[in-house]
Amino acid sequence: MSDDQSLDLSRTGFFDFDRRGLLRFAVAGLAAGVAPEAFAQSVPKRGGRLTIGADADPIGLDPGTVTAFSSYDFTALLYSGLLRWNAEMKVESDLATGFEQPNDTTYIFHLRSGVKFHNGQGFDAEDVKYTFDRILNPATASPNATIFASIKSVSVIDPMTVRFELNAPNAAFLSYMATNPVGVIVPRGVGDLVTKPVGTGPFIFVSYEPNQQFTLKANPDYYEKGQPYLSEVVFRFFKDQASLTSALRSKAIDMTWFKDPKVSAQIVRTSPDLVSAPGKTTRTFPVWLNMKAKPLNDVRVRRALSLATDRQACLETVLGGSGKVAAMVPESHVGGYDGASEMPYYKTDIAAAKKLLAEAGYPSGIDLGDYIVVAANPLDVACAQILQQQWAEAGIKVAIKPMETAPLISMWLKGEFATLMSIALSWSPDPDAIISRIISTGAYGKALGMTDTALDAMIVEARTLLDRTKRAAAYLAIQKRIAEQAYVLDIYQYPLRWEAWWNYAKGYVPLAANIRSFVRTTWIDK
Amino acid sequence: MIRLVALRLALMLPILFGVSIVAFTLMRALPGDFAQASAGTTAISAEALETIRRNLGLDRPVWQQYLGWLAHALTGDLGTSFVTRRPVAGELLPRLAVTGELTLIAGLMAMIMGTATGLASARLRGATDWMVRGLNSLLLAVPNFVIATLIVLLAGLYFPQLAIFNYVAFVADPAGNITGLLLPALSLALTVSVTISENTRAAVLEVASQDYVMVARAKGLRRRTILVHYLVRNALTPVVTVTGLQLAALLGGSILIETIFTVPGMGQYLFDSVANRDYPAIQAIVLLSATIVLLVNVLVDITYARIDARVSYE
Repeated sequence: MSDDQSLDLSRTGFFDFDRRGLLRFAVAGLAAGVAPEAFAQSVPKRGGRLTIGADADPIGLDPGTVTAFSSYDFTALLYSGLLRWNAEMKVESDLATGFEQPNDTTYIFHLRSGVKFHNGQGFDAEDVKYTFDRILNPATASPNATIFASIKSVSVIDPMTVRFELNAPNAAFLSYMATNPVGVIVPRGVGDLVTKPVGTGPFIFVSYEPNQQFTLKANPDYYEKGQPYLSEVVFRFFKDQASLTSALRSKAIDMTWFKDPKVSAQIVRTSPDLVSAPGKTTRTFPVWLNMKAKPLNDVRVRRALSLATDRQACLETVLGGSGKVAAMVPESHVGGYDGASEMPYYKTDIAAAKKLLAEAGYPSGIDLGDYIVVAANPLDVACAQILQQQWAEAGIKVAIKPMETAPLISMWLKGEFATLMSIALSWSPDPDAIISRIISTGAYGKALGMTDTALDAMIVEARTLLDRTKRAAAYLAIQKRIAEQAYVLDIYQYPLRWEAWWNYAKGYVPLAANIRSFVRTTWIDK
Repeated sequence: MIRLVALRLALMLPILFGVSIVAFTLMRALPGDFAQASAGTTAISAEALETIRRNLGLDRPVWQQYLGWLAHALTGDLGTSFVTRRPVAGELLPRLAVTGELTLIAGLMAMIMGTATGLASARLRGATDWMVRGLNSLLLAVPNFVIATLIVLLAGLYFPQLAIFNYVAFVADPAGNITGLLLPALSLALTVSVTISENTRAAVLEVASQDYVMVARAKGLRRRTILVHYLVRNALTPVVTVTGLQLAALLGGSILIETIFTVPGMGQYLFDSVANRDYPAIQAIVLLSATIVLLVNVLVDITYARIDARVSYE
């Protein structure tokens, strides 16, 4: 599956994956290098229960209003959208059988017939219209309203055909449509989805006891014949990583994910029957700079920081090498940086850093004060400590200040921090979501003190490039400019979670979108 | 006596009122609110955040929010959790039962271990005394969450068949429920037992040097009679005080222990609620915990009068 092929799909319109669906999935699993024996095995076993160890409770289950990443794991199994991500992070059809794109701003989706919601209600074009009208209604307070702000109208052509009109060409549109829960379809006329979710997904909501257990059962009417194989999926909650490790070892859970690659590597080493898949890198660890005032409004000081940084050393020490050097966009995105090619001011050069500092008026070094990091994330704190040592060699002093997440995010979004702050970004469906954070016309860019209008123009243009190759080139250029001006110091990129499961759970593939979509193809063979 | 208890109970009201104001304003003074905490780093527009805040009433001045909360609380309505969108009271009561059970088991364990080691230490002296006091110093130095984490990790590594995360409700499986709580209760009890042990030891040694004990011994009373009727009963007063005070420590400790052992109690609920800035839940938990601590203090005072004839509240 080459990039060119997928370019054709999103560019020229109609596609239909159904005929090749199964084969493609098998290939995807092999390509991801995951448990090939799972695919070599002939027939999936039906029935059984999969117990997943989750590290956070969901906060609401209504896809229209949910903002918490912890909810996505559950919406991913309960709901489906018109499109979805496959194992290689390419967009494929889900509730749509295909779509046409008569012009750059019009999408016509052909819907799958015979699909039912969990409450028995039939799925048709009215539900699609209802879903998006609801998102765009300000009273819903949907975080997806800004994401889909480019939608001018959604109209029903017939029960199985729906037309989306956009205000302007939007390259991110299909990515968001494929992302759960952003683009998933909810049934019209159903009230409280927050606590009683109703979708078309492979599993049906059964019960939820906060902090204890979230239970789902197989959807007998799921449109993909024979799926899901499991009859029950149970999530159990472990807020403590040590407890999670222990629960996996004792088989209290069959599957989980870890926040630390060293923990995951160690547990797999001690138990050969555990499968661990690294997954694609989806997350970057950046240092955000407050450029509203001295000294970081001076590009020479920022470049000095970048030159004093040894990104590879951070990667080796903190992640044990299980990641890549980063720019703004992780490699699993269009235009993502691969960590290998040269970026400006990425090559460590202490002498050059000192020289730049002297030019900026700090010949005897500079004290940048507090460097704020997320206390709850040991990886972040560890990396900050290494950066502190590296910068000290160039005469740049910082004091690390670990902090609770909620106030830290608040300070970050409002730009109310002295000089430096780190908070890693979760996976987002489209590179624009990451890059838009530093556009100078946006609230977040303003908070950081961005003023680069040339960069703004590049960001706005990249949004409209429907050609995948051109778009990738545009994002690489944007990232080069960010590195060149050192607006953000990106250190490394890594998977958000390192997944591990017992080898009797077969047919599972980790997805870089950081949801467990492939529980629908998992079966238990004990 | 009854009048005194009634007075003490009435005095609780202004204290609880004060606690509710402090908890309310402190939580809101912390940077970050539910809208922000739940969204995390998910890209979300500033307008959407404002709408979420407005829907939850978080855009109003704090005093208005407080009066609104108070008006509901006085009618027994503790509000709806931001996170689960269910009434807080309904979430809290089952958790109170779980934490109550855990605290009870831990308290009993701590009392038994504490008084036993304290008595042994004071009566036998010598090597036993050294051992008990050495162990006590060690346990005092290691925080209970470290012990809990060690138990969890070691059990996972060496006794994977031991089900340490199998919390089951008491009604579903009473025996399983209690066995499930033994390890969490033990890690909670160890630190508390040290305090009780040290206090028992000191109290028994002090009482043993009193003249009436010497007289009792001179009269030729049996060691056992002296121990039970003269020593233990008189040494018990300070021990009861300490045990009462340790309840606050047990409740506080349960936050960490419940989180580590994934016991669905009040402590775990508080931990989650603070992280998510779930104000109605935090407010309810703080009030409930304050009420419990105050009630136990009243209870301790009553117990004094029962144990120590010198104490009278008339």
